[in-house]
Amino acid sequence: MRWVLCLWWVSAGLLSAQDGRPEGAAIYAQYCASCHGEEGQGVPDEVDEPLRGDRSLDSLARYIDRRMPEDDPDLLNAEESSKVAEYIYHAFYAVEAGAEERPRPAFARLTNRQFRESVADLLGSFGQSHSRGEGTGLRAVYFDSDGMNKKARKALEREDRQMSFDFGTGAPAEGMKEDQFSIAWEGSLLPPETGWYEFKLITPNGARLYLNGDSQEGDGNFRDDSGAKRQPAFVDAWVSSGSEDREVTARMFLLGGRAYPIRLDYFKYLDPSGRLRLEWTPPHGVSEVLEAPFLSPASATRVAVCSTPFPADDASEGYERGTGVTQAWHDATTAAAVEVANQVVDRLRVLSGVEENDPQRVEKLKEFVATMAARAFRRGLSEDLRQRYVVAPFEGLTSPEAAVKRAVILILKSPRFLYPEIESSVDDFTVASRLALGMWDSLPDRELREAAEQGRLRSPEPIEAQARRMMEDPRARAKLHAFFQRWLKLDGEGDLQKDPEAFPGFDAQMVSDLRRSLEIFVDTIVWSDASDYRELILSSEIPLNARLAKYYEAPIPEGRGFVEVAFDPAQRAGILTHPYLLARLAHPDSTSPIHRGVFVSRNVLGGLLKPPPEAIAFDNHQFDPRMTMREKVAEMTRSANCMTCHETINPLGFSLENFDAVGRFRTTEGERMIDAESDFPSFGGHTLRLRGPRDVAEHAVASDQARRGFIRQILQYQLKQNPAVYGRGMLDQLDHHFAASGYHIRNLLVTLQSQAALLGAPNPESAR
Amino acid sequence: MNLSTRRQFLRQLGLSAAAVPFLPVLPSLAQETTAHPSMQRIIFIFTPNGTIPPAFWPDEVGANFQLKRILEPLAPFKDRLLTLRGVSNKIRGDGDGHMRGISCLLTADELLPGNIQGGSDKPAGWASNLSIDQEIRNFLQSRAETATRFGSLEMGVAVPNRADPWTRESYAGANQPLAPLSDPYAMFEKLYGSVKDRESLGSVLDSVCEDLRTIAARVDREERDLLDQHASFVRDMERDLQSAGTQQLLFPPPALEAGVAIDNDGIPKISRMQSDLLVSAFANGMARVATLQYTNSVGQARMRWLDIHDDHHHLSHEPDENADAQEKLIRINTWLCGEIAYLVQRLDDTPEPGGGGSMLDHTTLVWTNELGKGNSHSLDNIPFVMVGGGLGFQTGRSLRFDNVPHNRLWLSVAHAFGHRIPVFGQESFCDGGPLDLV
Repeated sequence: MRWVLCLWWVSAGLLSAQDGRPEGAAIYAQYCASCHGEEGQGVPDEVDEPLRGDRSLDSLARYIDRRMPEDDPDLLNAEESSKVAEYIYHAFYAVEAGAEERPRPAFARLTNRQFRESVADLLGSFGQSHSRGEGTGLRAVYFDSDGMNKKARKALEREDRQMSFDFGTGAPAEGMKEDQFSIAWEGSLLPPETGWYEFKLITPNGARLYLNGDSQEGDGNFRDDSGAKRQPAFVDAWVSSGSEDREVTARMFLLGGRAYPIRLDYFKYLDPSGRLRLEWTPPHGVSEVLEAPFLSPASATRVAVCSTPFPADDASEGYERGTGVTQAWHDATTAAAVEVANQVVDRLRVLSGVEENDPQRVEKLKEFVATMAARAFRRGLSEDLRQRYVVAPFEGLTSPEAAVKRAVILILKSPRFLYPEIESSVDDFTVASRLALGMWDSLPDRELREAAEQGRLRSPEPIEAQARRMMEDPRARAKLHAFFQRWLKLDGEGDLQKDPEAFPGFDAQMVSDLRRSLEIFVDTIVWSDASDYRELILSSEIPLNARLAKYYEAPIPEGRGFVEVAFDPAQRAGILTHPYLLARLAHPDSTSPIHRGVFVSRNVLGGLLKPPPEAIAFDNHQFDPRMTMREKVAEMTRSANCMTCHETINPLGFSLENFDAVGRFRTTEGERMIDAESDFPSFGGHTLRLRGPRDVAEHAVASDQARRGFIRQILQYQLKQNPAVYGRGMLDQLDHHFAASGYHIRNLLVTLQSQAALLGAPNPESAR
Repeated sequence: MNLSTRRQFLRQLGLSAAAVPFLPVLPSLAQETTAHPSMQRIIFIFTPNGTIPPAFWPDEVGANFQLKRILEPLAPFKDRLLTLRGVSNKIRGDGDGHMRGISCLLTADELLPGNIQGGSDKPAGWASNLSIDQEIRNFLQSRAETATRFGSLEMGVAVPNRADPWTRESYAGANQPLAPLSDPYAMFEKLYGSVKDRESLGSVLDSVCEDLRTIAARVDREERDLLDQHASFVRDMERDLQSAGTQQLLFPPPALEAGVAIDNDGIPKISRMQSDLLVSAFANGMARVATLQYTNSVGQARMRWLDIHDDHHHLSHEPDENADAQEKLIRINTWLCGEIAYLVQRLDDTPEPGGGGSMLDHTTLVWTNELGKGNSHSLDNIPFVMVGGGLGFQTGRSLRFDNVPHNRLWLSVAHAFGHRIPVFGQESFCDGGPLDLV
């Protein structure tokens, strides 16, 4: 079997200076410019990339001393290297060199996630809302009859954690009848991420599932006992046929981090036995019984989900951003606008609150549309815009519904909605819009709108207070969740599969459990009071359920859920050794120190790796089978060209060789003992002896570059901009705050959002 | 969708209540298309609660016969219809007569045991077989030359919005009931909705372009480039919209009356709207098979427009001696026959798109009922009537059979489509093969 193996190349990155001493400039001109260009801009066929990067000056000097010039690294002594480094650093290397060179912020359309979240909140801003409840299960009411409308037959009320029941031939609870009974479960569904979910209802009896509907008028139910049955069931398995289990499936697109109204009705009437199971298959997951913590007894309001497929956003910089438009994107936003407009017309009375027989109906609907336009455009409507977006659509049409439909499509197709920064001036509304996009990928909520209207978003303190408030909203949690999905390669395409002969038992269920384990690991740390970034790397605990514990030979926790299991700190260190990542960053039948090393270098240590100069197909069978994986990798990357990057990648990967391709601890590979020790040239220029993951972890939490790399990645994901846009010192300042707050991740987010929100404001009273 | 919203919505689309002459938009196109002598369509119509046999069945057998009162509305088509007396639904097993009456009617096999309790017998579930309309649909869809956008349409008139063995006649397979769509506005949306969406997009894109121009005038170059690109996509889409749209339809969408309530009293209008939609969908080549289900088994329509205020099912339980009830039931069934005659007339008025006579010459309607007779709940002598030339049967006859299972009738229908299956539904009732109707 062959895999394409990527060999990576470290950017010696370099930028510019203003007052390097002549000596440094002279050395540069003599020894460096032939490859890097007079101004570090690069030379075709030599070094294409401009000489820019984010090493510290010290680090740059040590690096040059050790490695440059590439054909004769001994040419310059330490002092000369230091001089040339100082020149380079100030002349052009440092990213934050000079305010006048600050790049403009990227002008961007909404990303796909931002479009969907904005639409959900736009429609969600009309009508009632509920706060999200705890994920403890669903409210259940048991009845001693096959119908659910007779209060007198109510036998029991309780909360059920898990939607899997087997009543056999008996009654569902003490004192209830055996041959006929019914149960209604109600509350909210809490899907963790955005995507298609498949639901499967399995029962030999009768059941109906209602999901994400509007509550009925009158009794406020999400189901419908009336003959009219206006409330459509999402899955209808009401009629039993034969005593065999029937499986009915249906799919729904859901946005992660939101609460959806759910109701499940069930009855048994003279059937031989009673049972019911509701399963779901989340994105990337396997079919599993729906249970807490994805179910809550709290009520919820229908979420306006736009399920039109979009072409993928540009992610070439490691995060999605909306810097380009394509025909496919245009078509998708059009289809999405029509989809949403149809939803608005279908739910017009619920959303607008305007009765159909209201004599003022048309005028009131115009106000509804005007409000919607202002919320979508994130600012008040001028008279011109009101004319274009509200009045015009109502002209010449006989039906108000058609006018509303046309207006909604127009609003959602408007550049004022699709390009949030289309207004050139920066004012309170811009700040509100940035905060909402930055924290939630969505539109400003009512509090933000009011703050903007009242001119309260002009100085850092109230803005930070808003950001702090917004951080507690489930939407902030959802966005941060999405960042970690990307950072930890949980959003990867393609299945994680292992050779079933080499790793029996490592199946899709196992992978799904591992994903869940890593998500819980991250959530537990990020949402704890300390929210300590270092714990992500240092912790020696891993949340495991019984299935995982058995496979990874850990003490088996009781019950169905996940429990933190302590491992030997010498063996396991945070995300570095989480079995999901170890397995994801490995081949189907063997480890891949290169994949692991690249991940640790880039994502954890903040290294800037460029794509490899050449992709080499790795054929395991070309090597002597007696060689260890470490020996094979060392052999393959031994050329100087490769070693530019692999001198850092390989030691990091080798330090994890004690973990096999599914992340189990091992001391041997075949007949051979594992050797996990090696020397690692750190980005700071020192050489470290790495004996295993604990050494890497301790190096990471002590490393400025690692910490700044984390800040940079989280900033890019949240703001869809590069840090340089925010000018000299933004990273320094954030880093300073980060350290002062005990590496508090949520505080970091609050700080970076509130600082970024004022970019370009005319008189930001930012005294800091 | 909220029904009255839907109504309002359609009203805006400029669809007036006035009937529009139902003629091809592009007659030349219709002429040019090569004739399809093989074009065959079928419509299964369901009405509930049995008939009044003396007012239904012709006394004579053969080509010389008189139509009785209930069938009188079909008099203009007497030479193009067949009455089939002596065909019985012999399916037994679980479920009461009404459940089997509808759910075994087109499926011709027993119900699965289940949890739905009827007025008698054991509780039952869904049908265990696919229905004959779906059998034919699958056959036609499996061949490129007969496949259509939808294959089949399941339509209803005042079918209650609940799914149980009393409300479903069409099945895609065992345990797979198909819900008839009873809201003509929703049916319109299904057939023509995307056309209307494209129309409302046209005017929207104009406005987007205008606003883009005002914005682009005052933004920086880099931003303008992106917005210019955006604008060019908008213009492309406008062009596409102009070239597409309703012009691609051979026949215009029917003009539905706006604001019709989807309830009991709306039945007369809903019935006509569904018929118009059905003819239009067939004419535009969207399907070749349809079911049109009036209410459900145990149907309880109150036909106040006939000045009959009792519900249909209740009346059907009255004994033969109740002359008042008999008279009302005759009028109810005559009215239902009149609705069928309307549909037949529309098909006959519409030229076959591929040429070769009217659409009625290529379409057969099969009028079915859940019961033979309401007050006995008999499943014998189901009042089967066929109208039209779709299946090439020899029409203009009153036929009488000797209590044959209706499985054999469905075999005749399948074979007329060239689908020569030896068995349909319960095998023991297929002995003797298709009924000879040619």
